Amino acid sequence: MYKLLLVLRYLRRKLAPMFAALAVTLCTAMVIIVSSVMGGFLDMFKVAARQASSDVTVESGLGGFPHYEELVKRLESLPEVAGATAVVRSFGLVRLEGNTNGVEIMGIDPGGYDKVSDYKKMLYWTSDYFVKWIEDLKNEQGGANPQEQQRLEEGARYYRENDFRQYAMQFEIPPGWRNARAENAGESPEAGANTGGVSGAADTSGGPGVVLGIAVSPYQRRDEKGQYDFENSPLRSASSREVVVTVLPVTKQGGVLEPAVRKMIAVNEFKSGLYEIDKNRVYVAFDFLQKLLKMDSHQRFNEETGNLSGEMVPGRAHRVMVRAKEGVTSEQLQQRVEAELLKLGTDYEDVGPLLAVTWQEAHQGLLGAVEKEKLMVTFLFAVVSVVAYAMIAVIFYMIVMEKTRDIGVLRALGAAREGVAGIFLGYGLAIGIVGSLLGLFLAAEVVWNINEIQALLARTVGFQMWNPEVYYFDRIPSQLNPKEVTVIVGTAILASVLGALVPAIAAARLNPVEALRYE
Amino acid sequence: MVAATAKKEVECILAARDLHKHYRMGEEDLHVLAGVEIAVKPGEWVAVLGASGSGKSTLLHLLGGLDRPDQGQVWFDGQEVFRLRGGRLDRYRNQHVGFVFQFYHLLPELTALENVLIGAMVGTTMWGWPLISREKRQQATDLLEQLGLGERLRHRPNKLSGGERQRVAIARALVNNPDVLLADEPTGNLDQKTGQQILEVLQSLHRAGQSIVMVTHDTRIAAAADRQVTLEGGRLRA
Repeated sequence: MYKLLLVLRYLRRKLAPMFAALAVTLCTAMVIIVSSVMGGFLDMFKVAARQASSDVTVESGLGGFPHYEELVKRLESLPEVAGATAVVRSFGLVRLEGNTNGVEIMGIDPGGYDKVSDYKKMLYWTSDYFVKWIEDLKNEQGGANPQEQQRLEEGARYYRENDFRQYAMQFEIPPGWRNARAENAGESPEAGANTGGVSGAADTSGGPGVVLGIAVSPYQRRDEKGQYDFENSPLRSASSREVVVTVLPVTKQGGVLEPAVRKMIAVNEFKSGLYEIDKNRVYVAFDFLQKLLKMDSHQRFNEETGNLSGEMVPGRAHRVMVRAKEGVTSEQLQQRVEAELLKLGTDYEDVGPLLAVTWQEAHQGLLGAVEKEKLMVTFLFAVVSVVAYAMIAVIFYMIVMEKTRDIGVLRALGAAREGVAGIFLGYGLAIGIVGSLLGLFLAAEVVWNINEIQALLARTVGFQMWNPEVYYFDRIPSQLNPKEVTVIVGTAILASVLGALVPAIAAARLNPVEALRYE
Repeated sequence: MVAATAKKEVECILAARDLHKHYRMGEEDLHVLAGVEIAVKPGEWVAVLGASGSGKSTLLHLLGGLDRPDQGQVWFDGQEVFRLRGGRLDRYRNQHVGFVFQFYHLLPELTALENVLIGAMVGTTMWGWPLISREKRQQATDLLEQLGLGERLRHRPNKLSGGERQRVAIARALVNNPDVLLADEPTGNLDQKTGQQILEVLQSLHRAGQSIVMVTHDTRIAAAADRQVTLEGGRLRA
């Protein structure tokens, strides 16, 4: 009982323990903030990565693999699978407003693709995100600038009235747009000449629409809030939404055929949250790309007769993407899929080698780097924290020295050595609890308001530590992970007790008679 | 012989036999206690006189179980004190003896009342304390009131005068109703008048039957005791 009384009294009456508690507070807060923000990053990357690439992807080489319909059918019948869809992909060129860039072109069945990857949610100009942003902007500006107000109204109406989501889901071109393009081409013959020998909408089975990654267009810039202005979107004008796509068909044997070039129309843009994907990917209709890559089902050509042989060659796809049902991990799913692939391989000899890759494996380069970075930074700060606990040890040692005579008195009153040690361990515990809980509150305050703090810093001293134009996320992650916080606070408390351990043992070992004589 | 000795020691509440204590001062070996024999009967007040440095305080510490002798025994109520094991020596200091020091040695963070109560707290666990805290608090308050400190219960030591501090220290020593009060120069740090008041406190305790061993170098103070012994050359003589 006297231990508790003394711990409480010592805690209240002394400046030194306040410094020790402050050191614990700052260290705890520092580690929590760093690990929360870095962890938030990691989580955001993970969500984006999983969204962009489903749980498990079955992959083949550039030549693709046949019988993918059968594989999709078999996979969809598995109890672990929420959805599966085939994808064809190719590397190619996209020309947009006179700029040609190399991109990954993915042919998807939008309905099926949405089941494995939140495709619908990624469509930017129809996202709730965008709608909210434009509403916020309107409210923010109020009636101050009628011109801007009108511009926003007009922009909001444009995206509201055109059902771009629907068009993107079918790669259809909105009704008015075909004419506009024709008019446009008529007006400027040079534009037509630029496209050279590009065939028009003639060969666009499955829809001639294309959905661009939001960063594919070089004119797309993020504002200081990290938002894309609809004004810069290629969708805004008839000339800018014309896209020329060039792909290089690869035969099953790995040979390269003549490049195929098609003129297409951008019907929406998507934002996956991973810059690399948003910068380098466009979506087109599965059938369209499959045909363009000459991977669709066709009759075999008889080389001897020079005629069609009548024998059908099955169509090929590059990937089958699979989403797991709720509660099934990607590793579990991977195992099931691998088993299915083995079966498929025995049933059809011409399937070729296939690989089942989880989304973690697919994004290992990025996720692994961020994960390691988080670990490193947290570790470094933990090392810095050791200094604080050394400080606790020193402060406690000073307290023990200062209290030497009191320790002698307590021993004279019948306190055991363990009891005296207990006072200082309890003292360390109390300082650990007080310090780390204060640290937790401080960290929570900072993490939850980190975007506001950064905005304040930017406004008052012009220091912008977070630049949404550079980073791919608009806001600094501001989530506390309860498990991590518990571990950090627990460690801080334990470390405080450990910091007090040596001084506590020194106190217990004091000779009471000498302690009483201590001046 | 052994039985006879034991019997003799049972008659006394506190006794020491052939106590030796050495101190090392650099190269020099100080034989401070060289075979001290003392026996305190229940209710007796013994004053130990001696020059400073003669080993009076050391003797008191040994009697109270605070320090260990190099040789010899201390007997309390028929038990050999330094054979007590497993926290029983701590318990002996807590329950059976009460120390009063020349420099009071109050804990500066605690109020007068808490300084008295801490002696009682040391003797119980955190779980046992709530059961007796009310009673002990009352007892401590009564003690302080008897010593004229009724108005000073919530004062910290730095707000008390020397005499008041010593009275708090005496109350602390008495809170567990010890069998023997061990007072080390209880008036040594006080002016004559205040010292006299403390002496009166001890006298009234003694009248109520308290055994006291008091160490002092002041013969006038020692005169109040039933018996005076002098520590000289490491031995006691009457």
